[in-house]
Amino acid sequence: MIDASLQWTKAAVTGWLLVLILSFAASAQRPVSPALPLSKKALTFPAVVVKLVDEIAFKKLIVPNGKPLLINFWATWCDPCREEFPDLVKLDAEYKGKINFITVSLDDPEDILTTVPKFLASMKAEMPAYLLKTADESAVITSVSKDWQGGMPFTILLSAEGETAHFRQGKINPETVRNEINKLLVRQVPTEK
Amino acid sequence: MRQKSAIIFTILAMLAFASIPTVGEASDFSVGTTLENFSLPDTAGKTHSFNDLKGKNGAVIVFLSAQCPVVKAYNERVNQIAADYAAKGITFIGINSNATESGETVKSHAAENYKFPVLIDKGNVFADKLGATVTPEVYYFDAKNVLKYHGAIDNDRSGKAITDNYLRTAFDSSLSGKAIEKTRANAFGCSIKRAEK
Repeated sequence: MIDASLQWTKAAVTGWLLVLILSFAASAQRPVSPALPLSKKALTFPAVVVKLVDEIAFKKLIVPNGKPLLINFWATWCDPCREEFPDLVKLDAEYKGKINFITVSLDDPEDILTTVPKFLASMKAEMPAYLLKTADESAVITSVSKDWQGGMPFTILLSAEGETAHFRQGKINPETVRNEINKLLVRQVPTEK
Repeated sequence: MRQKSAIIFTILAMLAFASIPTVGEASDFSVGTTLENFSLPDTAGKTHSFNDLKGKNGAVIVFLSAQCPVVKAYNERVNQIAADYAAKGITFIGINSNATESGETVKSHAAENYKFPVLIDKGNVFADKLGATVTPEVYYFDAKNVLKYHGAIDNDRSGKAITDNYLRTAFDSSLSGKAIEKTRANAFGCSIKRAEK
């Protein structure tokens, strides 16, 4: 009985020691950010919600609403799409409020609650996220750009009036996109009288 | 001075707004264009000409990738279509134009997956000529090397809900002497990774 009690105590002490060691290790790896307590940080990047859209909803989605509109088409299975995502997130942060930016995933609709939001959350992506379900990919691709053959990633910048200002099949050059957005924003600034 | 600056600014602004959007790989190789015979090496280094590989009723050039998941999803279907139409005189020729895929990767991928030759398009010269940008992407040429159909194989990547077999329909129309109703269709796929020039 005494042996069993001793063993239990030993196990408990070892367990606590392990918890303490792991806590120290975790806090040592965590980036120091005194500005925001952890709870606030979590609020900064809320859970990602990916909305499912069909062709009809999609057509409305790609019409600019008073601001330039940047659209990125991507999929979790597409390596270059994933690789360029940090640049897209930076652009979103940089132009928040000045342009609208949406991402459209071409993943399987079955992935809408799993791999797609998981990846977006890992990227800390805050732009509105959609997943397109369509039986006519060809029509969708043509409706976005006559110069797009469906290769991904694909990023297109539309002016507030809906004209194509820039597009790129393949990974974007962030500087080029930045320049094109800036051109549109300069054009939008009302002239002083 | 101020006037000069204003003129320079106006010219610069005009140039900026007149800039053409970045185009992927522009090509005017559209349906109805005749393909000149060309030669490319296969994965073993042996050179083949298009005219030698072409069947009596034409050939399909299919741009492939050893790494693209969409290509992978189509492998079985592509082999099946190739087998079904080989007897009808239409052959398949795979082309890999991806600068990011090594010769060894392409070689082993081709050997494991395809029953037709896969040619290597180093520097994506041939992809540029045709304006191919996606994998998988097909170009169907008739016996006279005229492009009859270009684009997607069918309308469902997953293969679970195909309602339009674009390529098979194009073959069947062409073989029965009818006009091909749909000569062009796009589908989502992987971008061909081009060499930096």
